[in-house]
Amino acid sequence: MKKQIKNKKTKVTAAVREKPKAQPVKSKPAEVKQLICLLGDEQLVKEYSAALQEKGIAVQELQNLASLKNSVKKITAAFELTLTANEQKKKNLLALSEALPANVPIISCAVTETILSQSHLLKHPERFIGIAAFPTLFANPLVELAPSLHTSKEIADNVKALFDSLKKETAMVQDSVGMVMPRILCQIINEALFTSQNDVASPNDIDEAMKHGANYPHGPIAWGEMIGFANVVAVLDALYNNHHEERYRVAPLLRQMAIAGVFWRTKE
Amino acid sequence: MAISIGIVGAGTMGAGIAHIAALNKFTVSLYDINDEVIRRSVEKINFEMKRSVDKNKISDDDMKQALTRIKKRTNINDLDTCDIIFEAVLEDIKVKKDLFKKLDQIAHHTAILATNTSTLSVTSIAAATKKPERVVGMHFFNPVHEIQLVEIVKGERTSDETMKSAAAIAEQLGKKAVQTKDTPGYIVNRVSHPFYNEALKILGENATTLEEIDRIVKKSGGFKMGPFELMDLTGNDVSLSVAESIYEQMYHDPRFQPSRIQKQMVEAGMFGKKNKLGFYNYEEK
Ligand SMILES: NC(=O)c1ccc[n+]([C@@H]2O[C@H](COP(=O)([O-])OP(=O)(O)OC[C@H]3O[C@@H](n4cnc5c(N)ncnc54)[C@H](O)[C@@H]3O)[C@@H](O)[C@H]2O)c1
Repeated sequence: MKKQIKNKKTKVTAAVREKPKAQPVKSKPAEVKQLICLLGDEQLVKEYSAALQEKGIAVQELQNLASLKNSVKKITAAFELTLTANEQKKKNLLALSEALPANVPIISCAVTETILSQSHLLKHPERFIGIAAFPTLFANPLVELAPSLHTSKEIADNVKALFDSLKKETAMVQDSVGMVMPRILCQIINEALFTSQNDVASPNDIDEAMKHGANYPHGPIAWGEMIGFANVVAVLDALYNNHHEERYRVAPLLRQMAIAGVFWRTKE
Repeated sequence: MAISIGIVGAGTMGAGIAHIAALNKFTVSLYDINDEVIRRSVEKINFEMKRSVDKNKISDDDMKQALTRIKKRTNINDLDTCDIIFEAVLEDIKVKKDLFKKLDQIAHHTAILATNTSTLSVTSIAAATKKPERVVGMHFFNPVHEIQLVEIVKGERTSDETMKSAAAIAEQLGKKAVQTKDTPGYIVNRVSHPFYNEALKILGENATTLEEIDRIVKKSGGFKMGPFELMDLTGNDVSLSVAESIYEQMYHDPRFQPSRIQKQMVEAGMFGKKNKLGFYNYEEK
């Protein structure tokens, strides 16, 4: 079992400004042989699996919950990467919490549902922590984490140390739907689709305008396509249900594209 | 035949357009109601071009040639031979309408009249003239010589031919042209609205600090700058007035509701970088 060096008084429940690699947190975890188990959305599992393996960390992509039994003793952390809060995600989290020892952190995508409501009724809710797992973002140098009101400081430190060892910065934010980056990004994509739906400009010109006029890394509509329009809609619907505010209303065109799974293009 | 360009209003944007036009071999007639502004504007262009020479982006000769192409005009009637006139005066509908009425009389009958307005209706400015089909929005971004984009804005009565010519001229100015209808915020200011507004909302919910939001947006999202850094750079006063104008013109569509936090920054006089205090403090050495 790993003991983390405690840093004095970091509140886990509040968003804490962290310096990238200030503390000498880890030395132990490097010696422990990591085995990280991943399950959930195929796209996210792929992105996480590739990035972890690239850093030399052993991963196990769980195809089904039955295969969890074989490796349970060796797993050092688990990622549940289902974006939409659905029945399967519930089953996955339940199975993980039943099978894994209490000190193994369970890091769950908490973009469409808070980590608190995901874990509140499960065994050892203190070992759950939320992550802003969202397609296309894991290639970037920072991950957003959200501890719930139950998350222990030890688990939060442990997970932070795991990302330190991957040379990734972490940001601890409040446990709220959308977290920070997925929330802002989905709102941008939604407005781009409203703009397209209102026939203000062609999808291509909207993307070009945002890249060349505002320095965006991708055009928002193309970015939405990379993320998967259904994923964007899932986040916006969750925001709408949490806030009951008109500003999160999904552009009808975006919802249609999410259902059809295709990129709508105007007559050129 | 070389296209000749007229510019009315030699402030930030007028000077920027004159700069790129002269470098791209257009002759430029630069006019402002204030003669002193024209003089300062040419000085500023001179300074900016020198910097480009120092950075080896243009040659000394390019600069000399370009500067000879800029004619200072103190009489607006001297813009009568221009093929296109760019308007870059202050953002006030009455001033712009009066100006377009006048330009309509003095400009050549085939000339294009292009407004650089960010938030006003191109359609309404065009309606002040007898040839609304020749009026178009050409929305450049500050700093003009660095930002690639121009939004070509089609007013209700702007002709397709005018749209085509405007896009062609933008490209000859070395810009990337996109076409947009005359709706509040056009493309860039509208689509980037949630970039700022959602960040402000998250801050208002105290989900994390503004420094953290900027760090996350840059390092998790891959954006060059964070929303709060950018609001400070643009100026919270400018940024709020754009947001308020879009909100008004959208008949209070809740998606565009401006943020109380930003309003308070403006009320406090915390405009951003330009007065050394905004979301961040720029005072410390
Ligand atoms: N500054 C920006 O970031 C930016 C970006 C895009 C568009 N714009 C738009 O460009 C226009 C100009 O903005 P700016 O920042 O260059 O303003 P500015 O204040 O720097 O310059 C405006 C100039 O217009 C002159 N002027 C005023 N009334 C005039 C008249 N009747 N005839 C001739 N000259 C007159 C003033 O003397 C002043 O020099 C505005 O419509 C603004 O919304 C500005």
